[in-house]
Amino acid sequence: MNQEMVTDTGSDKLQLRQWLFNPFQFIAGGKALIIGVVIILVTSGLGSISNTHFDGVLDVHTGRAVPIWLFVAEGFINWLSLAAMLAIFGLLLRRFSFRMIDIFGTQALARWPHIITAIVTLAPGYQRYSAHISNKFLKTCPVAMPHQTDALFFALVLVVVICMAIWMVVLMYRAYSVSCNLKGAKAIGSFTAGLIIAELLSKLGILWLFTVYGSAI
Amino acid sequence: MRTLPTICPSCNSRLRVKELLCEKCGTEVEGLYELPTLASLPEAEQQFVLQFVKASGSLKEMAKLLGLSYPTVRNRLDDIINRINGPDKNKNNSTGKEKQNESGNGN
Repeated sequence: MNQEMVTDTGSDKLQLRQWLFNPFQFIAGGKALIIGVVIILVTSGLGSISNTHFDGVLDVHTGRAVPIWLFVAEGFINWLSLAAMLAIFGLLLRRFSFRMIDIFGTQALARWPHIITAIVTLAPGYQRYSAHISNKFLKTCPVAMPHQTDALFFALVLVVVICMAIWMVVLMYRAYSVSCNLKGAKAIGSFTAGLIIAELLSKLGILWLFTVYGSAI
Repeated sequence: MRTLPTICPSCNSRLRVKELLCEKCGTEVEGLYELPTLASLPEAEQQFVLQFVKASGSLKEMAKLLGLSYPTVRNRLDDIINRINGPDKNKNNSTGKEKQNESGNGN
């Protein structure tokens, strides 16, 4: 029976591209949700080592040391605010019914480039230069002077962080499009609106959380 | 095997059947007949429908067989329904039942 199957699997190159930019063709639902939640937890754990805060759906900032549960909470607030917004837009615009588990699962999985972000921000050169900049502008406690190559490291890490953010947005859009079967201008418009609202919601949520905790990022 | 043309190569309109032939006795039937709905779908979609029937109408089973995710397979089916029904008749009427039957952790 397998021989008769119509599959979209073309060349290896095409398959690799699909796995990189639209893995949701192959994986969604509960499996995506489990992997996605693990990704959020790992990202939060790595972030807590380097004090890298994911303080908004798309935001990455180096900040203060806080308990690890706050890093985890940031990750979950980011994921849930975007998934919830896109679920609402999906319900409003749907042509056909869809499963909530697909939206929430694929949106969790779409956050995986943040793991790379969390890893690259562990680089000592980035850390030193970042602390140096914070010290310079916030007049906090003095830190060791950065090495000569640290500025270069810092710039390279920033480039990687920006690339990962772009990649993540592409994945988030694809996840939304596949989960709700939306295409074209309707999909792009609603995704953009959802992303902006979710960014604001997540910022407010995280701000509230840190206010309750009694700290700033 | 040659594929059945369903669209006019000249003006892109839908083709109709004008003549049929019995290969055994050579009888020819002339008239003007509509192509069956399934026959008017592109070949890939006809294959999909065939596989869907063979899989007892289970999207989960289809997803497993095709190595694709559940929503991808469901979207294909929705697109076929859309093509058959026309875009206006589809809102919320497609795989709702299937979705209820198969809700839970699909991939």
